[in-house]
Amino acid sequence: MIIAEEHIKVKGEILVLTNHRAIYWKRENALILSDIHIGKTGHFKKHGIPMPDAILQKDLERLKALIVHFKAKKLVVVGDLFHAEANKDMSTFKSWLVQFENLKIILIKGNHDRLSKQLMSDFNFQVETELELSPFLLVHEHLEQHNEEFTISGHTHPGVLIKGKGRQRIKLPCYQVTNKQIILPAFSLFTGLNARSEPKNVAAYAFTETSIFKL
Amino acid sequence: MSKFNDSIGLQLITNWMAEKGQAPFPFQAKTWQRYANGYSGMVVAPTGFGKTFSVFLGVVIDYLNHPENYPKGLKLLWVSPLRSLAKDLAKAMEQAVNEIGLDWSIQVRNGDTPTNVRRKQERLMPDVLLTTPETMHLLFSMKKNSRFFKGVKCVAIDEWHELIGNKRGILTELAISQLRAYSPKLQIWGITATIGNLEEAKAVLLPYSKLKITQVKAKQKKKIDIISVLPNEIEVLPWAGHLGGKMVDKILPIIEAHTTTLIFTNTRGQAELWYQLLLNANPELAGLLAIHHGSISKELRNWIEDSISSGYLKAVVCTSSLDLGVDFKPVDCVIQIGSAKGIARFMQRAGRSGHSPYERSKIYFIPTHSLELVEVAALKEAVKQEQIETRDPMVLTFDVLVQFMVTLAVGMGFDSQKLFNQIKETHAFSYITEDEWQWCLHFITKGGKTLSNYEEFHKVIEDDDGLYNVKSRRISMLHRMNIGAIVSEANVMVKFFSGGYIGMIEEFFISKLKPGDSFILAGRILELVKLKDMTVLVKRSKAKKAVSPSWMGGRLPLTSHLSHFLRLKLSDALEPGRLEKELRFLNPLILRQAKYSHIPKADEFLIELIETKDGHHVFMYPFEGRLVHEVFSALMAYRLSKLKPLTFTIAMNDYGFELLSDQPIPISEENITLLLSKENLMDDVIASINASEMASRKFRDIAVIAGLVVQTQPGTRKNNKSLQSSSGLIFRVLEDYEKDNLLLRQAYSEVFNQQLEEVRLQAAFERISKSKIIIKHAKSFTPLSFPLKVDSLRGTMSNENLDKRIQRIKNQAFKID
Repeated sequence: MIIAEEHIKVKGEILVLTNHRAIYWKRENALILSDIHIGKTGHFKKHGIPMPDAILQKDLERLKALIVHFKAKKLVVVGDLFHAEANKDMSTFKSWLVQFENLKIILIKGNHDRLSKQLMSDFNFQVETELELSPFLLVHEHLEQHNEEFTISGHTHPGVLIKGKGRQRIKLPCYQVTNKQIILPAFSLFTGLNARSEPKNVAAYAFTETSIFKL
Repeated sequence: MSKFNDSIGLQLITNWMAEKGQAPFPFQAKTWQRYANGYSGMVVAPTGFGKTFSVFLGVVIDYLNHPENYPKGLKLLWVSPLRSLAKDLAKAMEQAVNEIGLDWSIQVRNGDTPTNVRRKQERLMPDVLLTTPETMHLLFSMKKNSRFFKGVKCVAIDEWHELIGNKRGILTELAISQLRAYSPKLQIWGITATIGNLEEAKAVLLPYSKLKITQVKAKQKKKIDIISVLPNEIEVLPWAGHLGGKMVDKILPIIEAHTTTLIFTNTRGQAELWYQLLLNANPELAGLLAIHHGSISKELRNWIEDSISSGYLKAVVCTSSLDLGVDFKPVDCVIQIGSAKGIARFMQRAGRSGHSPYERSKIYFIPTHSLELVEVAALKEAVKQEQIETRDPMVLTFDVLVQFMVTLAVGMGFDSQKLFNQIKETHAFSYITEDEWQWCLHFITKGGKTLSNYEEFHKVIEDDDGLYNVKSRRISMLHRMNIGAIVSEANVMVKFFSGGYIGMIEEFFISKLKPGDSFILAGRILELVKLKDMTVLVKRSKAKKAVSPSWMGGRLPLTSHLSHFLRLKLSDALEPGRLEKELRFLNPLILRQAKYSHIPKADEFLIELIETKDGHHVFMYPFEGRLVHEVFSALMAYRLSKLKPLTFTIAMNDYGFELLSDQPIPISEENITLLLSKENLMDDVIASINASEMASRKFRDIAVIAGLVVQTQPGTRKNNKSLQSSSGLIFRVLEDYEKDNLLLRQAYSEVFNQQLEEVRLQAAFERISKSKIIIKHAKSFTPLSFPLKVDSLRGTMSNENLDKRIQRIKNQAFKID
């Protein structure tokens, strides 16, 4: 797995955007990511729609590689860690977590995180609806009420459509960065791309398996 | 033999017909007799000759002769691909049994049937049930459904030619096999119009070796008058569409001279355009001219159809939406605008006029560019020689199979071995292997090949007595909603802001519009107000001009039969026959082509090299239809780029294709044979196209049919939102993790069979390898190359990897959307 990096300076902080759908923040020694949707394949399967197990495995492998690569001590998930109800994928996730004894996990609740309090406590996460980590406000979805702050959020699964000569079109996942906010791409590979919504004056950082670049 | 001829049933029927001043057609009488003798079979007859009464009355006669053989309840199942036909057929059958004095009940069951009627039918089935393949499968998904079908004596498959080439045909094959399991003595009758592969069609419908099988062919033939409408003057450099406006004045008098005229166009977009053109040219037509296509609301379409029947409308602009269906008595004239793309389609459309047995059908052909006149000459020749396209059956469509398996599991459950033996008897699955069958079983019980058994996957469960069942009500419900093999484009509903439904439009098209933009639908200019819950809210627009929607599925390629005749006609265009007025009219164009380039003879293959300020053009004319040209051109670009790294812009139409490059293209007398070689053909094709992307597009339908994607009905509030995923995403996931997934493999084979038309492509290269290759250099565009140049369908060919491609696009002053 090739980890390509793009370093950007925001509000005096150095953030590392990776081509594997997570930001590394050196000051906090934290990985910030969004929309892992754990349990999505399980949810589909529970409703009779077959999906390969390997989807979750691959997502977890990537996450592990990132944690090891950056020697991260903290994992901040800005929402949609879980997709739907509790299912077997959660226990897979739980046993996977055992290997990172000292990893602190903070979850900013997203619209999909409906798991009951009891189940959440089972995981020993710090659960928040939003989190001030100066100079940033971490939320799942950037709303109007956040306009005064610099937010880091997810939720929209941003993508960008690149058009070339003669009808060439490629859609890639991306980070959306403005002078007011950063929107993270969805971490899970089993998510769609939304190339239609973007904030004003946005710079998009698109990436592939091997590279990341600013558009 | 004589026993049947003296039978009371036959006498009753012939007397009844005689009272109405009719006598059975020989093919009807023959069908009756064969049916009485226990045959299954296929009736081949053109529409309008009483094909319904061949099979239907066969069953009635046998019943009258042997009522003791027929139990209470369902006796005859009538399966027709068209819902709209059922009502009228039922009416005709009902009238017949009433007049004969038979107390049979004849009912329709399809998606439009109200629930209370359905419940009644489930308590007691009518004697004759008219239904669709999809509804048959829905019936199979009901508990204890075998009781409906135990006594069925005969199943009739109407319009079999419409079903055989597609997945609804597979649904039909499977339904028949299931009916046979319920009622082993079932007689199976297909009814079809003439197609190029009747023998095969019969074998697909009736693959059962123990059946007594026959074929009955009507001798009657529909007489067709084909009249081409010539423009006032000839354009020696034609281009698609430019004739449109000028031809309107030629169409108005035709409409005037007839009672009711159907005007066929090829796409919904064109229908909208011509509707506007005609109305503008003659405002008096307002109210007497209607527009009919698949995106217009059902109510409006029903009203239009009724108004055609009653003779209220003077003309209707339509698409293939009116190719089939009820016969409209007042229609005495058909106009075809632009190429009909196929012989069968052209004849079918012609047949919509003058429908009663001894009337002639009349069709006017309006070219949209002058070259299309060669097509009329070709069509006339093909009709004369009775050469009609084949409809090739699909096989091993695993998406339909797994859907069927789950359908049965939702219904009465199935035994694996029994069902395997049953479906192996069908044509579609006669070559299925034990492994493939196990894969399908695994797919519905365990969710495909996964690393571990996922105990929460409970779609289909093998219960203690070995039957495969669905226990979850929610899964049953989801599955029932998904039964069928027609996958619609992602459509959204168009409604007036003030209420009132107008029609459907593709989400893809509407997503490009902004509120305040205007577009045309159902002959109206509408302004987009907003898009909400899969519904587009609009109001009337004051704009004079608006975009006409393009519907994705709109472009049909020329069939190989028609292109064959086209090549023949073009080759003798220099010396047209005395009666070939189209070719005579085209003479100036042909002469110009001959002077500046060449008219390819039937055994020649023409290549034109033209240099303009745009760059270096290569034109090739295989005349094989748009789809084949798409592949052909990509292949040529690939082989050329191996000689010299070049980037091409590619354009194509039904006649040929163009490669354009900014640098000289290395084609010469020396290397051309190699470039056009049939060696390594398919390997080079695979290298030259993006097969994965094509397969991903094919996978959309497959994923829906196999139940991998939950369809959202347009207009309904989004439900099952947590189960939404796009087929593209699933395709990617399966490509990454489950390469040997049968549904994935199916997507690729559909690409090869349908998209790449592998067989046709091979045949084309075979033909070209035997042809004399003519390379001509020209200073400017020739009559053949010009329409191609103007054609807007463009693609670019590129073989670089993703990163490189992005790099290059970036350098090309990219634009972000």
